[in-house]
Amino acid sequence: MRILIATVRVPFVTGGAEVLADGLRRALVDAGHQAEIVAIPFKWYPPERILDQMLACRLLDLSETFEVPVDRLIGLKFPAYLIPHPRKVIWMLHQHRQAYDLWQHPLNDLHTYANGAEVRAAIHRADTELIPQARGIFTISRNVAFRMHAYCALNATPLYHPPQDADCFYTRPAEDFLYFPSRINPLKRQDLVLEALARTRSKVKVCFSGPSAEPGFERKCGALAQESGFENRVEWLGAVSEEEKRDLYARSLGVLFPPVDEDYGYITLEAMLARKPVITCSDSGGPLEFVVHCQTGMVAEPTPEALAAAMDELWEDRRRAKQWGDEGRQRYDDLNISWGNVLERLLE
Amino acid sequence: MKIIVATSSVPFIRGGAEILADNLRDAFVAAGHEAELVSIPFKHYPPARIPDHILACRLLDLTETCGVRIDRVIGLKFPAYLIPHPDKVIWLLHQHRTAYELWDHPRAGDLIQCPDGPVIREAIRQADRELIPEAKAVYTLSKNVSGRLRRYSGIDSEPLYNPPAHAQLFYNGPAGDYFFFPSRITGIKRQWLAIRALAQCREQVRICFAGQADSPMQQAECVNIVRELKLSDRVEWLGMVSEEQKRALYANCLAVIFSPVDEDYGYVTLEAMLSSKPVITCADSGGALEFVVNHQTGLVADPTPESLAQAMDSLWTERQNAAAMGEAGRARYQDLNISWANVVEKLLC
Repeated sequence: MRILIATVRVPFVTGGAEVLADGLRRALVDAGHQAEIVAIPFKWYPPERILDQMLACRLLDLSETFEVPVDRLIGLKFPAYLIPHPRKVIWMLHQHRQAYDLWQHPLNDLHTYANGAEVRAAIHRADTELIPQARGIFTISRNVAFRMHAYCALNATPLYHPPQDADCFYTRPAEDFLYFPSRINPLKRQDLVLEALARTRSKVKVCFSGPSAEPGFERKCGALAQESGFENRVEWLGAVSEEEKRDLYARSLGVLFPPVDEDYGYITLEAMLARKPVITCSDSGGPLEFVVHCQTGMVAEPTPEALAAAMDELWEDRRRAKQWGDEGRQRYDDLNISWGNVLERLLE
Repeated sequence: MKIIVATSSVPFIRGGAEILADNLRDAFVAAGHEAELVSIPFKHYPPARIPDHILACRLLDLTETCGVRIDRVIGLKFPAYLIPHPDKVIWLLHQHRTAYELWDHPRAGDLIQCPDGPVIREAIRQADRELIPEAKAVYTLSKNVSGRLRRYSGIDSEPLYNPPAHAQLFYNGPAGDYFFFPSRITGIKRQWLAIRALAQCREQVRICFAGQADSPMQQAECVNIVRELKLSDRVEWLGMVSEEQKRALYANCLAVIFSPVDEDYGYVTLEAMLSSKPVITCADSGGALEFVVNHQTGLVADPTPESLAQAMDSLWTERQNAAAMGEAGRARYQDLNISWANVVEKLLC
């Protein structure tokens, strides 16, 4: 089949969405299809630009090329999943979250513009009316499907996919640190972990890795660590290579992943592949589809106190931590997450 | 600098324009800049889709990303070069050709055949006339493209030549018994003309065609002519070949045939020159004529089977002469001083 993957791209920014689009393209090519990515540039401010770009996507025509049909269009991100096509399926990464679950969230700003509410209404209308034009509606997680149902009353089927290089993860005996791999970003809540560290009974150590695009938040985190006087219990590794990342997973005691309402979260899956328990929060979204409390990790309330208690528990009982890590790996294998499954559903 | 190279492309089609865009981005990165490609999908039929795509491009915003300024946008292809930006430079590969010089071309002209063709043509021309001058500077791929832009849109521009990909890897080998015709298989490259010429040759000339067909129909059309003229044993279709294979095919051919309709620029000419091979082209082949010197680095024939056959026969029988022309072509390439460093400097000043 000739298949196009339609997504949007913020110029000069590469993250999970780009990795996913590329992973999907590679899986399609490996399965013998012709597949290409169409990436429309996206800028979400000022809000009226969102309307322009929704219209731009609606004006594009990917139905065929030089009279040869494009057999399938797979829409991933807003507003690219609105591009019309007679044989479109949507595999939604997420809607424009500022208009939905993150509306009026302190970390976002759509609601602060005079025309914010109007633009939000237009996004809701476009999603509600145009998403059902697709012949299949899938999402990357139950969390994303649940939001779409809650806000747009649309039903979708969650379709899990493996993290990049899933086969390359391995485990090693636990050393004295919890590992927190993520972009340094307010939505990932490195600050919450630092506040929890100040409240642990044990001398818990945390190793952070991940690039930082927000100097302000990075400074806030640095100051938090300094204030509490536990700089020696915190390590900032910055961006690390894939090999280094897998090594850190393998040697950690457990993995910390307490983001705000994550769509999916490769980190949970990577920890499970590396046989490590995961500490997450009850409002972390995607990770809750995988972490079973007191069986493959811990689910804490998103407060410094609750998170500190969970960290202490893992820190103080190494045997149990290992057991939970093993159970996590078992659970990953039971879930049968594969690109083969994803393609089968997207192309049926 | 943060630089975006803005172009349009037809999904699943990879030709000279796509290679040029990649090479330009790589040249910016090599010069120490941050550079990315933005490629807007384009479908040119039915004609009403064209204004839709113009509008889509005008609606995009590449001024900044996450609050950081994008310092320069380089616009390459229609309609992506119409994306607005305060620091835009256009390096025009070509305008939408069937609204201009190919409007009434008997094979390529498509707009002219549609009831709304004239209206759409005017919309395209007006958009180009009014919006191209928004750019800070306008460069083109070749004298040929600059000439058209002047003639049809009244806009002045400067031609800026670029080297083919991996220019340093081309080499010369012993001349074998075939002419090489590397190009996408599509009407305006005129593979069919070379095949019809083959039928008129006195000598047992052979041609190797390499390149992907734009559509199965285009391929079938050529194959049918070969069958009809009973030339199957003198024609070879290699389809898509790797870069290594392509360079070997250049190195071992007797000469290169490149007979397109009014080509914008034409890497094939330059690649042949880099491989020290003479080029047979046509008097209406456009960009190729900026490089081929008749009887010195190749032969310029009339675009008829008879004339082209004569040129092919002449090189086929005078092999020494062919080799000498190839050497002269290589020398001419060196004299032109074509480099990416020069392109980057011009586009960023």
